[in-house]
Amino acid sequence: MIEIKNLTKYYGRGESRFKALDDVSVRINDGEFVVILGASGSGKSTFLNVISGLEAMDGGSVAYDGQTLERMSEKELTKFRRENTAYIFQQYYLLPHLTVEKNVRMGADLAHNKDILPVLEAVGLAEKRRKFPAELSGGEQQRVAIARALAKNPRVLFLDEPTGALDEKTGRLVLDYMINLQAKQDFTMIMVTHNANIAQTADRIIKMNSGKIVGITENADKKTAYEIGW
Amino acid sequence: MIVSIKDSVKLFGISIMTCCAVTVCNLFLNYYLDLAAIADLIDNPVSQMLYDAQMMTAKVVCAVSGGCLAATTVVMLFFYIKHYIDSHSREIGILKALGYSDFKIARGFSVFGLSVFSGCIIGYLLSFVLMPRFYELQNADDYIPDIAISIHWELFVFLVLLPAVAFSLIAVGYSMIKLNQPCVNLLKGVAKEQGKSRDGRDKKSFVEDMKSSVLRGRKTLIFFIAFSAFCFSAMIQMSASMKDLASEMMGFMIFIIGVVLAFTTLYIAVTTVIRSNQQSVTMMRVFGYESAECKRSVLDGYRPAAYIGFVIGSVYQYALLRIMVDIVFAGVEGVPAYEFDFPVCLITLAAFIVVYEGIMFAYGQSMKEIPLKQIMSE
Repeated sequence: MIEIKNLTKYYGRGESRFKALDDVSVRINDGEFVVILGASGSGKSTFLNVISGLEAMDGGSVAYDGQTLERMSEKELTKFRRENTAYIFQQYYLLPHLTVEKNVRMGADLAHNKDILPVLEAVGLAEKRRKFPAELSGGEQQRVAIARALAKNPRVLFLDEPTGALDEKTGRLVLDYMINLQAKQDFTMIMVTHNANIAQTADRIIKMNSGKIVGITENADKKTAYEIGW
Repeated sequence: MIVSIKDSVKLFGISIMTCCAVTVCNLFLNYYLDLAAIADLIDNPVSQMLYDAQMMTAKVVCAVSGGCLAATTVVMLFFYIKHYIDSHSREIGILKALGYSDFKIARGFSVFGLSVFSGCIIGYLLSFVLMPRFYELQNADDYIPDIAISIHWELFVFLVLLPAVAFSLIAVGYSMIKLNQPCVNLLKGVAKEQGKSRDGRDKKSFVEDMKSSVLRGRKTLIFFIAFSAFCFSAMIQMSASMKDLASEMMGFMIFIIGVVLAFTTLYIAVTTVIRSNQQSVTMMRVFGYESAECKRSVLDGYRPAAYIGFVIGSVYQYALLRIMVDIVFAGVEGVPAYEFDFPVCLITLAAFIVVYEGIMFAYGQSMKEIPLKQIMSE
């Protein structure tokens, strides 16, 4: 379980200083799929950065099963990320000079995962494992990023607008992969999006505005990637 | 125009390289021309032998140091152009897509000749600062009549103006070759070397794969790292021997040039490696790789090249001095015996290990400073 209490984050100095996160508190359960929904500048990406340990907080607390991030040194944070988390970004950030297989190995090696073929098959890219990122479509590249993250066997998967750079057809395909894999492997999934339709696929929707949580909705009527509008 | 004068300033490595080359060449060529002018005044066999040795020394030093540094400058120029085209491939691709010809884009690279010009002019002036003391030491023996400094303007043309023009033309020519590729490749940033690592059947770890990929991606840097170690090894050991064989001033000059060249080349090579792999390193750290693993994947692959460069430098300086003593100064009285100096070699090696490994460690630590959130806000 991830327990976030009174999280505060500032950016800037002097007169330009502003509160990006304002006293945010929420609890996320193990195996849950949570969407952080908000417009640009609402603080959703900052929230993701801070709770994933990529960025330091200025106040409050983030605890993973009682293990608090704010007290960790840089070395401990690295170890924490190594053992617990994985990330998928809007821009994929694949390593361009390595093949699909070797990109996926980046995640797999950290989990001592020797056999990456099952994860490549899960995202439908086993046939293209010898290709380079530039030889793949945007959707395929994002699926490589998914495979790289999943090969790490993460406890928590963070996604920052993972379908933001994809067309509707590919976006639905990638989202469908994610939802099915999360349900099958039961890891916690926290996704940031500005798209209210995509949010309908989650277990719970946390709405943010001006650095604050303005609403938390239990999504009883959870939809699949092919049932939502785009 | 995509390439600006500001970009030319970033080529300070080329300026330093050409500055060193022109300083040494102008010093010795000026002396050579002044020496040639007194050929008729040599009136006995002993003086003639020393005179011939001095003439030969000037020619050998100019040919070896000038040639070596000029060749390295060409490699460095090619490296900068390739790196520039790779890192600006999208902008260049857009220009080509808009209808700009390869030549129209390539001629912008002629400004890179300015870095050669600035290095040459500084080196030319610096040589005149050193010249009085240099002549004074050369005039110290009584076998050859004293020589006064004359300014030879033809050397200004050959050592300053012509290299600047030649390097501008080389820059345009080479960039035309590099730009000759489909603009869609430039827009997508597709690297030509990609095909070489397609075979993924090996069971190497990710860090080892990354290490090989980094080495393959920037092969020129292997040369620069080796060259840096070569300069450090050859010049420092040579400077120690020069104190006995020539003069303290020569020894000091060689030492300074060696250290400047070694550090400049190493700095350029390592910062380029780190900058061009910054995104990969950030992703590795986001995933939980430790900074030691990041350093291993990005920097450690160059270590063998560095130590090979050191060995070649040791052999080179020994061979060069052996030739000078046994062939050029053969029969000249008062030339001390020369043997390979093992203590100096060991001290230089120890200094090299400390400096090289220390710099690599410091750069490894600097990888921790790359902000992780940067990748998420791009």
